[in-house]
Parts: sequence; C-alpha cells; structure tokens
Amino acid sequence: MPNILNFENVSKKYGDLDALNKIQFTIPENSIFAILGPNGSGKSTLIKILAGLITSWNGNILYKNKSIRIDTDYLKNFGFIIEDPSFYEYLSAKKNLQIFCRLTNTPFSRINEVLDIVDLLDRQYDHVSNYSYGMKQRLGIAQALLHDPKILILDEPNNGLDPIGINQMADIIYRLNHEGKTICISTHSLNEVDRLCSDVAILKNGKLIINKNIRNEIKTKNYFRIEISDLNKALEVIKKIKGVSILSKQSNSIIVSQNSRNLSLLNNKTLKKLKCIQSIHTESDLIEYYYV
Amino acid sequence: MFKSTLINEAIKALHKKRTYISFILLFFLVPLIILAIGNGADYLEKQIYGQLTDSFVVFGSLTNGYLASYLIIAILAGQMPFLATIVASEIVSGEYAKGTFRMYLSRPVSRTKILFSKLIVVILYTIIMMFFFVFYTLGVSCAFLGIGDLAVFHKGLLFLSDGDILWRFFLAFIISTGVMLAISNLCFMLSTFSRNSVTPIIITISTVFIGSAISFIPLEIFESVNPYLFTGYIDLFLAAFHDPIPWDLIQDASIVCLLWSLIFVTISFYNFTNKEILS
Repeated sequence: MPNILNFENVSKKYGDLDALNKIQFTIPENSIFAILGPNGSGKSTLIKILAGLITSWNGNILYKNKSIRIDTDYLKNFGFIIEDPSFYEYLSAKKNLQIFCRLTNTPFSRINEVLDIVDLLDRQYDHVSNYSYGMKQRLGIAQALLHDPKILILDEPNNGLDPIGINQMADIIYRLNHEGKTICISTHSLNEVDRLCSDVAILKNGKLIINKNIRNEIKTKNYFRIEISDLNKALEVIKKIKGVSILSKQSNSIIVSQNSRNLSLLNNKTLKKLKCIQSIHTESDLIEYYYV
Repeated sequence: MFKSTLINEAIKALHKKRTYISFILLFFLVPLIILAIGNGADYLEKQIYGQLTDSFVVFGSLTNGYLASYLIIAILAGQMPFLATIVASEIVSGEYAKGTFRMYLSRPVSRTKILFSKLIVVILYTIIMMFFFVFYTLGVSCAFLGIGDLAVFHKGLLFLSDGDILWRFFLAFIISTGVMLAISNLCFMLSTFSRNSVTPIIITISTVFIGSAISFIPLEIFESVNPYLFTGYIDLFLAAFHDPIPWDLIQDASIVCLLWSLIFVTISFYNFTNKEILS
C-alpha cells in the first residue's frame, strides 16, 4: 500500500525539553495506524503539529508526497479529534456542525449523514451541554467526518468511554476504514492497538521506538523470550542460528525474532543442550514487549 | 470564506448570554435614573444652578430630556469601559479555555481570517452598545421629561437651543465610541494572550484607571504624557456640547485612539497567528 503520510525528522522542543526528537515514520494509505506511547511521549504534540496548532517545529511532514509546509490546503483532507472533544456548549449539536460546515463550504445536508453515522440524529437539536462524554466523543467523530476527509486523526478516542462506548467507537472506526478512510489513532492503550490497528509507531520520551506493520510481523515471524544464565555464551550460539534476529538482550533474558518458515526455536536441539539456557518461551504480546 | 467565518463569530456571540448583559443593564438602569431625575428636578436644579438664580431669572424648568441624557451619559461614560470589555475579553481567550480552538483551527482556514472576523464582531458590538447607550438614554429621557434647551457649563453657563442639540449627541456618540473602541481593542489584544476572560478585563480596567489618574493628577510629567494616551479622552465627548466645538482637540484624540487601536490590533494578529495551541 502506498504511504499517505511521511514524517521526516520531525522535532519539537519546549524550552530544553525534547518533546519530539527526529521522528521518522510513514502511515500507509487505508490502514488503521496507531501512535502508541505513554503519557508525555509526544503523541499529542505530533498530532497538533499535523493539525497546524503548533506552528514552530523542525523537520518535514509529507501528505501524498507534498510537504504540508508548502501545500497548506492539506487540512481539507484531514479530520481531527484532538484530546477531549470541545464544542460550543451553548449551541445545539446541529448548530455546532453548521459552524464547521461553513469553514469548509460543506453543504448543511451533510450534517444529517454524519449524525446518522454516529447515531446522534435524534439528538441533533439538544444543546451539547446536555450531552454525555460518550455522545460528545461521537459528535467529535461527526465533526471530523463532516467534510469527508481522507484521513481521520483520533487522539485518545476511547478516553473516558464506558465499555459500550468503546465498542461503538470500534464499530465506527472499522466501518470508516472499510469505506476507504485512513485512520490514525493516538493511544496509550495496548488493547486498543491490538484490537483495532494494522500498523503501529511507538513513541517514548519524544523518540520513535518502533514503527511496524503488526499484522505482517505476526504473520511472518515468531518471537521468543530466552531465559539465560550466561549472556555472552548464549549470544554466541544464538547468533549462529539461521533466520534469528536478536531484538533485545539483558543479563538474564534475550528476546529474538525468527522467520516463521524456519524450524521453531522451541525445537532447536543445540539450544536445548546448552547449560546457560534456562528456558525458551513464545513471546506472544509483541506490542507489549516493545511498549514496556 | 471571510463571510463564513464572520457569520460563525456572529452566531457564537449572539448565542452567549454575556453579550446581552450590557444592554439589559442599561435597559433597566437608564429609566431608573431618569425617573429619579424627574422626581428630584427642583433639588437637582438648586444643586446645579443654585448660585446662578441670584443673577438670572429662569422661567419654567431647566430639567428636560436633553439635560437628563447629558447627565446620564456624563455619569455613566466612565463606567462604559467595563461593558466594552465583556465580549472582547472572552472572544479569543474563551476558545483557548474551552479547547474549541483545537477543532476550529485545525480546519483549512487561515488564522488571520478567523481573528479578523472576531475583531469585526468586537468592533460591531462596541459601536452597537455605545449607540444603544447614547440614543436609548436620549429617547427614554425625552419621552419621560420632554425636550427643551440644554443648559451646560462651559466657560460659564451655555444655553444650547433644542434645535442645536441632537447633532451634538450624535457627535458625542462618535467621540465616545472612538475612545471605547481603543479600550475594547486593548482588551481584544489581551484576550489573544490570556487563557481566561477575567485577566483581560482586569488589565484593561486597571489601564483605564491608571490612565484616568494620570489625566486628573496635575503633575507636569503627567500633563506632558496625557495627550498621547487614549485614556485621557474618555470624557472628551463633553466637548460636543461646547461652543465653539474644539475640532483640533477632537482630531488629535481621533489620531491617538486610532494609533493605539492599530498597535493593539497588530500585536493581536502577530500573537494569534504565531500562537501554539497546546491545550
């Protein structure tokens, strides 16, 4: 799949703090992409740069190979929910959406369509101040969809939602992706990524830790955690095994990936014979491994 | 596109309760003062013109709608900066505070257009509020107390015949609106810096207070600075009832207020277009 967004060495400083440090990754078209990271990792900063809310930053972002610094009209292809959905609470949902329609010359007839998608059609005349948090989140999706953007950027879309709300949100996201929209979700929830996303970029302290297509990765590779007593000896042997890459090493464990077409490490006789190898386990939760 | 952003800002302003506070306040306050003036006409005349009755014979009452309007405008004009800040203080800072800018500014519309629309709303609000203040006062006063000559103090006692008065009120409205626009532009500028609507009000009113103090304290340094401060012209509308009208002074005041307004607006635009929306 071609890439719809390229982040090239994107950096942002707040005083001496590196909020983002040369972030570089791509988002494939029509994917459900997760930007995963703990609080303060730089996810929201990255999204705010993309949304034009942060004006001073370094690096480049390409939308369909055009720099957003040059093609400033790119925002018409994006729909955003950034942090909490904040509306003009003294206006009805419909009047709120009319305000956003005017900004993009979208006909008002589109309002009913998007309210139908998020199941708020019958509450369109209610003041937003009377909405629950979940309803506001859904209205946030509606406003993001109003101008029929190609990419939806959702910052913590499940924040504050109850399990029913989370399921509704997942349904909406799947449906929109199925209709051809690229969805980028920023989250700190591993479950959300595991459940929804095809690709992930993990940020930590403003740095990109990993950028992977999870589904491909899981399909084509196996992951193992090997408990060891002697790191050097174990490494010496593991490096010689065909199709195995070492992902991380600690004094008492090594995590490796192995092409799934090779014989599983679990059955590798050489390893089993080694005294320094205490045990070999399948590492099932790859995302958690990278994240933690 | 500018029309769209302007309609948006107008809708937002018209749906906020605070937009109507000034009008509701004036709507009830002005008739109350007029009733009080009407009831206490004799006492008021004794207080104002007391010593002059030794030299003049006055037939009938000097208290009429024009005098009441003149007095009310003179008394309340000093308080109008409070009302002028109500919309300006919140129009930008309110959107920062409530987080609505996160969605509004992530649309393909330039920040300049958005801020310009907000500025137009502030200017319109200030003009409409001052128009309502002056002409509602005039209308209700004349309806309650009738019309007649207006006796004001300017180099002694000056009688303005009733045919020579209405245009002076219109001039007073223009002068006071010009000064009030400088004040609301100051508040608008502060609103682009602040994340709440109280801070711009406090700073604006403090500025007006300090500026007024400078214009009243008879120190040489203050007297030399005062002509360059817009705050020194808050009561300049009284000049509309002078004879002859000091057009030179009004022209100077207009230039000073316009320059200050331009400075405030320029800073607002620079700040807003470079501002990072972090929350």
